[in-house]
Amino acid sequence: MGYVAVKAGEEVIRRAEDLFEKRRVDGEDEPVSVEQVESQFSRLVGQVMSEGGLYAPKLAARAVKQAQGDAAEAAFLLRAYRSTLERYDDSLPSSPDAMFATRRVSPAYKDVPGGQILGATKDYTQRLLDFEFDESDPTDEWDLGDDEPESLRNVMEVLRDEGLVSDPDPVDDTDVTDTTREPVMFPAPRDAILQELARGETGAVTALAYSALRGYGQVHPTLGEVRVGSLPVEIEHPYTGESAEVTSVEVTESESVVPVYAKRDDPQFSFGYGLVFGRNERKAIGMTILDASIQLDGDEPAEDAEFVLDTVDGIDSFGFIEHLKLPHYVTFQSILDRIRAIRERKGLDPVDGGERTDGDGGGDTPSDREAPQAVSDDD
Amino acid sequence: MADPTERTDRFELIAACDADTLVGLADEVLDGETPVRILQEPKPQLLMHQVREPVERRPFNLGEVVVTAAEVTIAGERGFAMVAGKAESKAVSGAILDAAVAANHATADRICESLVDAEVDRDETRRRQWNESRATTVAFETMEDEDE
Repeated sequence: MGYVAVKAGEEVIRRAEDLFEKRRVDGEDEPVSVEQVESQFSRLVGQVMSEGGLYAPKLAARAVKQAQGDAAEAAFLLRAYRSTLERYDDSLPSSPDAMFATRRVSPAYKDVPGGQILGATKDYTQRLLDFEFDESDPTDEWDLGDDEPESLRNVMEVLRDEGLVSDPDPVDDTDVTDTTREPVMFPAPRDAILQELARGETGAVTALAYSALRGYGQVHPTLGEVRVGSLPVEIEHPYTGESAEVTSVEVTESESVVPVYAKRDDPQFSFGYGLVFGRNERKAIGMTILDASIQLDGDEPAEDAEFVLDTVDGIDSFGFIEHLKLPHYVTFQSILDRIRAIRERKGLDPVDGGERTDGDGGGDTPSDREAPQAVSDDD
Repeated sequence: MADPTERTDRFELIAACDADTLVGLADEVLDGETPVRILQEPKPQLLMHQVREPVERRPFNLGEVVVTAAEVTIAGERGFAMVAGKAESKAVSGAILDAAVAANHATADRICESLVDAEVDRDETRRRQWNESRATTVAFETMEDEDE
């Protein structure tokens, strides 16, 4: 068989791209600005930053606009941009206790220190389509207090006070795994697992976590808390050597509490941790379930670190799934030839009278070749 | 309250200040007579944000943050700034202000006042956010007596 190299017009590709761009500006409406995307679609922007593994709200809003609302495509654009930048350094490790939380609910403790602060949510009201948006500020008439902001005590510390969470041994801060620079090897260290889950695709994290709840796993947690707020990002100042805050990032955090009576001699709790960029509670909660499941190292899909981490990244899965629509002419031709060779060797009649459709017309005949024992569809 | 005459505090005040204020103040420093030398061109870079998870207190990489850093000298005094996002003019303006205060430039007092004013505005915004959130704090009511 002879391979024939082909190429098709670049002009056509450019036109297809132009047509895609036209979809963005088509119609009578004013184009939406990047600033409007950032302020009015903040959840989507947060999701894109989280899945892109890059906190940059303005750039993420631009990516959302460019991708015409396709979150996976926008996250891809952020990762592509990221690959053009140098790394300044690592930040100093932030403590979640430093979060300025504007929402904190604890499903585990009714009387959690600091109170149940619902924050901005529609969790407790009906989810109905609104046909008449009220564009005025509904909080205008609120009679607000004038209290100084406080930090909310982490529920983990409450459990630690009760002896239900032991004080951990000191860990080496200088040897943090970075999965953007080194491939994940299994068994993966927990810091690598948390990093990969934190930038996992929201739907994949949710689905895999849901699989554990649906019986394909042992983890059905109680959430210690869910918090939304801003977390400081600090560096060591290059002149003074002191810690200095550069900015803060909006994050969602959750901790799940999992009783594992059968797994431990000392019946305490197992914990799962979730922390993601942006306001994305289902992803943060899903991350806690996957973190807790992976720690069990069981046989179910959600408990298999390799399975979870190999499938949870949106850029990986989106790229691999969508590449299938690109030309595979040679691959498919090869598969056809192999199938024909097998059929001929087994003495089977050609399908539909055996008219060939590959069109290249040249090359060797199937009987000249050694037929493979199995057909592979590897690219 | 942060002290803008202290280097680290000033760094944080500059990083949190809005771009218009920083660029406006830097324009005043660039009066044509003050020699400003760029040591590090402002360029977007990545800062890997590490977080210590609360169970094992083990740090992990949450993700990268885009920042823009710049460094300058004025009258032999260095100035460094790092700001969030892809913000070249804001970063270089911040570095100029940092150096100008360190060099006791004629505008130093005004720079310090403006940085503090901007912080007061941010604190007010944060206080309002906090009190809005506190207004949604649940007050549970016991239901024990309702059947009687």
